[in-house]
Amino acid sequence: MSEKCIVCPCEDVTLADVEQAIGLGYLDIDEVKRFTGLGTGSCQGKLCMVTTCQLLQTAQAADPQRVQRQPEAQRVPHPFTPRPPVVPVPLGVLAAGKGADRER
Amino acid sequence: MPNPDHPPSSAERSGGSDFHIEFEGRAVRARHGDTVASALIAAGVQVLSRSLKFHRPRSVFCLSGSCGSCLMRIDGQPNTRSCQVKAEPGLRCERQNAWPSADYDLLSAADAMFPLGMDHHTMFTSPRPLNRLMQKVVHQLGGLGRLPEVDAELASAASVVCQHVAVLVIGGGPAGLAAATEAATALGQTGRVLLLESQHSVGGSYLCHPELGRDRAHAALQLAQEAGVEILTGTAAFGFYREERHAAQPGAELGFVAAASDQVLYKLSADRYVYATGGAAQNLLFIDNDRPGVMSGRAVGRLLACHGIRVGEMPLVVGCDPFADELVSALRRSGQTVIHIDGTREKLTRALGGSWVEGAEVCDERGVHRTVRCDLIVIATPPAAASELLVQHGVTVELRQPGGFVGVADAQGQTNVPTVFVCGEVSGAMTAQDAADHGARVGLSAAQDRISEQARDAAARNIGQDQE
Repeated sequence: MSEKCIVCPCEDVTLADVEQAIGLGYLDIDEVKRFTGLGTGSCQGKLCMVTTCQLLQTAQAADPQRVQRQPEAQRVPHPFTPRPPVVPVPLGVLAAGKGADRER
Repeated sequence: MPNPDHPPSSAERSGGSDFHIEFEGRAVRARHGDTVASALIAAGVQVLSRSLKFHRPRSVFCLSGSCGSCLMRIDGQPNTRSCQVKAEPGLRCERQNAWPSADYDLLSAADAMFPLGMDHHTMFTSPRPLNRLMQKVVHQLGGLGRLPEVDAELASAASVVCQHVAVLVIGGGPAGLAAATEAATALGQTGRVLLLESQHSVGGSYLCHPELGRDRAHAALQLAQEAGVEILTGTAAFGFYREERHAAQPGAELGFVAAASDQVLYKLSADRYVYATGGAAQNLLFIDNDRPGVMSGRAVGRLLACHGIRVGEMPLVVGCDPFADELVSALRRSGQTVIHIDGTREKLTRALGGSWVEGAEVCDERGVHRTVRCDLIVIATPPAAASELLVQHGVTVELRQPGGFVGVADAQGQTNVPTVFVCGEVSGAMTAQDAADHGARVGLSAAQDRISEQARDAAARNIGQDQE
């Protein structure tokens, strides 16, 4: 095993990957998600999102001038959009919903 | 060279077995109440999966279905969380995503080839023929698992259930059980209370307490059943879907919670929603923090409490909250030699070992590093709120340390969405007992809110009739 500090185990995204993204100026969790692919695996960010938000807060605190140049990154920390399904669901079960009664 | 058929035992469990499951062609002992993951850990299987890109060895981390470290091919279905599947006689499980085997995976060469990480933005992007070739190679090597053997039967066997209840409680841990009990007691015969639990048994974080957990979970379940709470276990809420238009109730807040068990798809709506979804175990950042043998405190507690499995002889526990202290005491009483660091003054910097943890590197506040011998690293830091469904439902969340993105609510647990209440860990880090107390308060106020709304509606109808 080569030495790695893993931020997102589902997608094998390392701390070095996240630091590279921050170094390139991505200071928003959604930007870092899109650049590195973290949070896009089977757990959908349950393990990596909060850790990454804390890394971003630290980076923003360390370089307030850069944050001022990027007003869109000044927003308060927010989670990336959690889309359904938030837990893995077999496709066969989802398929059962096809044509299901829409009335309650 | 170690024999993969008889890996060195890293876990022990006293007593016999009830039946066998089939693991890559060999029989593995299991007991009633085991999941596939717990049976394999008890049998000393160290590597349960290989990671997506670097084929790094992985084993269980959270043991509660919220991480992706234990995905296996089970009875022909790929990418199944082995910690969420009950062990049954004759069940077949195998590891995936490795060649020739998960114990000796040659594809893990990728781990050494990319020491920092894979930057797919610049890798093999030119010249074009090389790029095409690399895409073919990546398609062959990457991905998770192979297609299932049978899927048509499953699809036709699944059914749909649509229901509307008075109070829907999502999550059957300390907070959810208490909330459902109080709500059902307050509502009596005037409304149904339905509780969803994704695991096969209710209890949530109660079940992570190595000594008292099972009794507390059982007592809370009994109270809920006596109060008339309807409980669906093995049924995970996976999304809130907003519905824009509804002719019957214009202006009302609309939508439904979708939930699924192995065989049933549920479309559920309610007058009041109580989210008690708890938290997801979090890892710390240190070198090789994904090595098998690095487990969450809740996983270690659950293995001991629910399965009688003691992993390792010399665990290193990181964490300083009440749960970490309780876990350390319980592990010591079980006979283990525990090293305990708080994670703030003394930090974990590296997990040492091969396909299982053999030691750790620790750094104190003066920056002095020391190496400790251990055969398990236990990350017993507070979990992060499982607030995905809350966000889908339109509830405001804020980042707290500890706690993660917690749902913001008033003292009664009511959120910015008036029909939505939150309680327990999803509203802030707290102990199991505090979560139960909080859940009881919030469950009662959700039920009272619904009762007073119905009284207002009834009064409004009476006034309307008088005027006619």
